[in-house]
Amino acid sequence: MAFLEISSVSKSFGAVKVLDDITLEIERGEFVVFVGPSGCGKSTLLRMITGLDSPNSGTVSIEGKVMNDIEPAKRGTAMVFQSYALYPHMSAYDNVSFGLRMAHTAKTLIRQRVDAAAAILRLDKLLHRRPRELSGGQKQRVAIGRAIVREPRVFLFDEPLSNLDAELRVQMRAELIELHRRLDVTMIYVTHDQIEAMTMADRMVVLNAGRMQQVGRPLDLYDDPDNRFVAGFVGSPRMNFLAGEVVGADATSTRLLHAGGTGPLTLPIGGLQGQLKVEIGVRPDHLRILADGEDPPPAAIAFTGRVTFVEELGNVTYVHIVLDDGTPIVVGAGRGPRIGTDDVRITAPVGHALLFAQDGCRLRGRNGTGK
Amino acid sequence: MTAKRASATSPTIWTVLKWTVAILAAVIAVFPVWWMINVVFSEPGQPVSINPRLWPTSLTAGLQTVHVIFAETAYLHAYMVSVCYSVLTIAGVLLFGSAAAFEFALFDFPGRRIIFGIVMLALMVPTAVTIIPTYLLTADLGWLNSMQGLVVPGLASAFGLFMLVQFMRAIPADMIEAARLDGASHLQIYWHVVLPLCRNAMVTLAILTFMQTWGNYMWPLLVGTSPDMYTVGQIVGMFNSPLSHQTVEVVMTANLLAAVPPLIFYLLFQRKIVEGIAMSGTKG
Ligand SMILES: Nc1ncnc2c1ncn2[C@@H]1O[C@H](COP(=O)(O)OP(=O)(O)O)[C@@H](O)[C@H]1O
Ligand SMILES: [Mg+2]
Repeated sequence: MAFLEISSVSKSFGAVKVLDDITLEIERGEFVVFVGPSGCGKSTLLRMITGLDSPNSGTVSIEGKVMNDIEPAKRGTAMVFQSYALYPHMSAYDNVSFGLRMAHTAKTLIRQRVDAAAAILRLDKLLHRRPRELSGGQKQRVAIGRAIVREPRVFLFDEPLSNLDAELRVQMRAELIELHRRLDVTMIYVTHDQIEAMTMADRMVVLNAGRMQQVGRPLDLYDDPDNRFVAGFVGSPRMNFLAGEVVGADATSTRLLHAGGTGPLTLPIGGLQGQLKVEIGVRPDHLRILADGEDPPPAAIAFTGRVTFVEELGNVTYVHIVLDDGTPIVVGAGRGPRIGTDDVRITAPVGHALLFAQDGCRLRGRNGTGK
Repeated sequence: MTAKRASATSPTIWTVLKWTVAILAAVIAVFPVWWMINVVFSEPGQPVSINPRLWPTSLTAGLQTVHVIFAETAYLHAYMVSVCYSVLTIAGVLLFGSAAAFEFALFDFPGRRIIFGIVMLALMVPTAVTIIPTYLLTADLGWLNSMQGLVVPGLASAFGLFMLVQFMRAIPADMIEAARLDGASHLQIYWHVVLPLCRNAMVTLAILTFMQTWGNYMWPLLVGTSPDMYTVGQIVGMFNSPLSHQTVEVVMTANLLAAVPPLIFYLLFQRKIVEGIAMSGTKG
């Protein structure tokens, strides 16, 4: 039995289904990230776990015990809010110790725990300050301190870094990972930022419109997405999609025509008889711009498009291209000769192409071909 | 301040006009009070009415009159009644108002909107309409001529509730939820989180309630008919009445004494009062 189990949790607000049959198991000590676009139900799912809201159906259990009817404060969860939710009329010390004081913990024990948390979070010198006298990052650390002193079994973070500036965000990310390593407890972290998710997660859970799209290690989701949503959501810049049409299929391969291409392309994905319209997904990094006069490698994807603009970031250059049918494409290129705004030919090895059905499902092939 | 400095360098017609009007208004407002002081602290035998002047002439004569009023009339007792009436009303209005506002503003319960709507309707009903039923109810309870009869009907302040609800609605839901997760009980959230955050609104409400209670004439007149329960307002009314045998400086002293607590209150909380009125105005 897993440490934390969410089984068939659904939640509606009025007629709007916000969470649809979520089932998930989380192991002790894992760092799990819920990621998805804004409004997809991430916060709602956290609130189900911590008990601020209750599901319409389904259960949440921790260490084998069903939590549905247990008060939020008694679940052994602690939550850090996006807004920090510090009490503005109390010093940092009083903020951190509030929960302990409400539980009438002995003063010396409170002191001990707060000091320990303050040491971990480097808050020692700030404990006497009011929230308004703290910077964003410091407020965030006080909010985390408030969670730490409760010694919870599960830490819940709801977009804790989204109010910080970019630099501080990167720094706090590292601090949170370090905190997780030190405390060795289960953490569930919510973000809409897939980069944050990729960098922090042991496992990430991609949500969209209240449904779980895929669960797995970040790189597995990157390499092997289950559907078009995950493929497009994970990775930056996002994956390119080319419209395609199946013209022939057998048990081991599929032949198709695709946007911007000249002739039929053969992909080593079998058993797709019956599919007609598909989409081919290729990551920017797997695309390459052909030099003038260079021929594409045999049996590779190849197509032509017009350069619209070029982002030169130093370590990498992104060339934005538009195909005749209007499909936008991004190519990740090295630092090469300047690229004008002419037509260019682009190629990618077929091994990196992913196929998606019209409903967004990944087409992996019936016999395990195509990854 | 800045206006003054600006006008020192280039006094435009407008600033001169503005200041003239402001000073005139101030004089008109202050003059009656000054006149009272003037009458009270005048040499006996040289009443201001006979010999008009704009400055007091005798401190001791005034203090003597104050002493006479406190020592020889029921004024001091009425003062105590008024203070009790005000303090208890303030305490009650704050307690009930904040507790009710806490529920209305921050929690959902069946019928919340309807009940709140009904309470808000009470804001629109003039006192003249409710005073007789309230009197009858108070009489039925046997509370005539008692402190509870004076205080209790004034405890449910629709205005106070409204003001505090507006204020508490601005408290982020996250903060209440954080407190809940911290294990704070309903009452602890009210006491440790919400009340401290509403301090300003509470102070404003206390001030407005004080001004209203201290100056309330009608209700004490109805409920406190026995001399034991006379408030300052009633006593002053008697001094002022045509059948009163007091001389003018005694009457004036009685009036001045009644005005002292609100004056002190006003000087202490000037800023808060202005804020409070602005707040109830803009948010209402
Ligand atoms: N208390 C509520 N009442 C009605 N709708 C809500 C409530 N809470 C959330 N929602 C709706 O549920 C959806 C998911 O919200 P939320 O979980 O906050 O999304 P996320 O955190 O992923 O951005 C949103 O469309 C939001 O409008
Ligand atoms: Mg959210």
